[in-house]
Amino acid sequence: MAVAAPHHVIVGNSIAGIEAAITLRNRDRSARITVISAEHPHPFARVSLMYVFCGQLSLKDTQFYPEDLYDRMRFERVTDRVVAVDAAQRTLRLMSGATLAFDTLLLAVGSTARKLPWSNAYADPALPRLVHHFVTLNDLHALDAAAKPGMSVAVIGGGLIGVEAAEVLQQRGLKTHFLIREPWYFPVALDAQESGMVAEHMRGHGVDCRTECSVQGLERAGSKVRLLGPELEVDLVVGAIGVEPATAFLAGSGIALNPETGGVETKDNLESTSCRGIFAAGDCAQVTWLDGSRRPEQLWYTSRDQGRIAAAAMLGDDVCYRRGTWYNSAKFFDVEYTTAGFLPPERTPAGSGWQTWFQRAPDRAVSQRIVVRNGAVKGFNGLGGRWNHNVWMQWIQQRRSLEWVLAHMNEARFDEEFTSPFTVLPSAALTEGA
Amino acid sequence: MQVGLLSTYRNPVQNRAAMAWLWALLLMAFYIDLYFFDHLDVAARLVHLPSKWTLYGLLYSVAMCVGGYFMLRKHGSSRYHQVRTAVLVAVQCTLGFLLPLALDFMGRPAYYFSYFFPLKYDILFPGTLKDMPVAVAIWFIAGSFVGVPLLVFYKGKRAYCSWICGCGGLAETFGDPWRHLSDKSDRAWRVEQISIYMVLALVFVMFGLVIGDAYAADGSAVRAVAQHTRSFYSFAIGSVFSGVLGTGLYPLMGTRVWCRFGCPMAAVLGLIQKFGRFRVTVKKDMCIACGNCSTYCEMGIDVRAYAMANQDFKRASCVGCGMCAHVCPRGVLRLETRDDAGPHEAIGTWTLDL
Repeated sequence: MAVAAPHHVIVGNSIAGIEAAITLRNRDRSARITVISAEHPHPFARVSLMYVFCGQLSLKDTQFYPEDLYDRMRFERVTDRVVAVDAAQRTLRLMSGATLAFDTLLLAVGSTARKLPWSNAYADPALPRLVHHFVTLNDLHALDAAAKPGMSVAVIGGGLIGVEAAEVLQQRGLKTHFLIREPWYFPVALDAQESGMVAEHMRGHGVDCRTECSVQGLERAGSKVRLLGPELEVDLVVGAIGVEPATAFLAGSGIALNPETGGVETKDNLESTSCRGIFAAGDCAQVTWLDGSRRPEQLWYTSRDQGRIAAAAMLGDDVCYRRGTWYNSAKFFDVEYTTAGFLPPERTPAGSGWQTWFQRAPDRAVSQRIVVRNGAVKGFNGLGGRWNHNVWMQWIQQRRSLEWVLAHMNEARFDEEFTSPFTVLPSAALTEGA
Repeated sequence: MQVGLLSTYRNPVQNRAAMAWLWALLLMAFYIDLYFFDHLDVAARLVHLPSKWTLYGLLYSVAMCVGGYFMLRKHGSSRYHQVRTAVLVAVQCTLGFLLPLALDFMGRPAYYFSYFFPLKYDILFPGTLKDMPVAVAIWFIAGSFVGVPLLVFYKGKRAYCSWICGCGGLAETFGDPWRHLSDKSDRAWRVEQISIYMVLALVFVMFGLVIGDAYAADGSAVRAVAQHTRSFYSFAIGSVFSGVLGTGLYPLMGTRVWCRFGCPMAAVLGLIQKFGRFRVTVKKDMCIACGNCSTYCEMGIDVRAYAMANQDFKRASCVGCGMCAHVCPRGVLRLETRDDAGPHEAIGTWTLDL
């Protein structure tokens, strides 16, 4: 008697889901693989939404696999939203009313924007048209339709989505107020000096960048919105205070969610802690970080890795997801940013064994920060230039000294040709603490 | 976000709208008139230039200067583009215009010193060489068979195609607003691999016939075939493909249609590049698949597929314009020349056919 091929169902076709699907197909040519997405029938790069908004790319340009990927890979495409999972019966219920049975399930549903904490932002009949986010394709379409040159907009939240939204809105000709609650922009990654430089750069582009600006609430003021606290009146508000796992539909399914983050609780192999045969990867998965803490990792690279690991686990491999050394990159307007290793987010005092080396070019938004502990480099931040994070991570593993690293910094550069080489400037300073 | 590229997809001229078709028709009409009629000779005499070809050189140089200015307004934050664009425009204005003009005024035959065999195939015809001053003949022979190949082996095809060549120069400056229109499909890649070597083969066949013709008796069959092949190549490839279509299709199919699908020089230099030192290096595990590199590649290379696969690559067609590296928001790509033989491309898991 022939054994029926297993049916793998993947919810979400962004990087985590599609990488898992491809991994499954490469390993198992006969399995039935279904990929469900309500957002778009084809995978696209979410990080490119800003480029689509400003007309630098078309949505088609952001599709990172060929149009016929599903055919080549024999994925069954379901363009629908999953509204409920029955873990015991191993079925999904779709918005259309259909049900779908699965043998193994991968939840790669990603995140949605975190809602602003004031209920009237979404309940008041007029405000929802004025309050926007910048995470999903629907967010993009809504903001695209609403944002007209000459309007004013407040972007609330000092993270990466905030700066992207501020950048493209300013560029479209809206008077843009970038409101950051913290004492400086992006404090989890940048220190006061770096962030000051970035803020200066943003102001140079015409953005009204305000730090320590705490918005207390929203109020309708005619056709405008009044922000309580800064007492600003604007035409539009973009809430960019972070993202959270889009797991609301899993409530009551028996799949354990973290009560604080909403992430799917997973074991080391990314299988749900409560339901066998159900896995999670990408933004919606609660995973173990390098420091031992457990939270979702909302990054492109790690989502891709998690998708591949989850697929191996779905096939029964004994695998374990481990985040390596931290690295990331971003771009704040024209200022490119690369980081690798560990830079203490909280200020560590002098005498703690930490030291910080920092220099900034006098005339341009270019800086480097290197933190050292007990004589070995631990972390790098580069702004305004291109750096190969792999080389930095290698130096961290090799426990190189600051002197050695400074003498070899040009080996980690990744700039275009003719860019002037790295040099230690007279203003470079090594201070105690980090 | 690349300030110069904003609204690329909102501007009708850049998106195959009616205005783009109008531009295409104008460009094609201009080239048809240039190659097949004499109106421009009349215009040239009005401005006291020796011939329509000198006038064409002037217009070409102006188009490159203006295009270069706008190109640098977009991408001038990059030193690579500053230097490259300045060299391209300077080569065109001097070797492509002023020097031939000066020779013309001195009553000497005008040579365009920036074009070599096999792109400018007739410079090495026995009949042409015979009348050429020895120094000029040495320049063209040494340039075609030693200088340019060596430069390309060590620095990549870009050294010619994106730093010197006039065709490439117009594409990189005047054509810059249309670079995103290049066809990125697998089908286009398959066509290009056949078409470009067919033109190259045609050049060699023609060359063989012309040399045969030099030794053939009057009225022999070789002479007739050689004549026909020469006129066919000159009409179909020289005028229609590289001129009328090569430039006329800028607003519809991107800027490097001729360089990619037809240019025999690009074909030869591409093969040298495959064995040479140049490659595009990918910073591992940093690509976010945004698509800027592939979109703005004028040769239609799917750069993103390599970046996502962490795969350094050498592609015969790459003209090393450097735009993929420049527009990458995560600094993932870099043009490099190194001493080792370099990468083999086996990209992506998705290429698996089941």
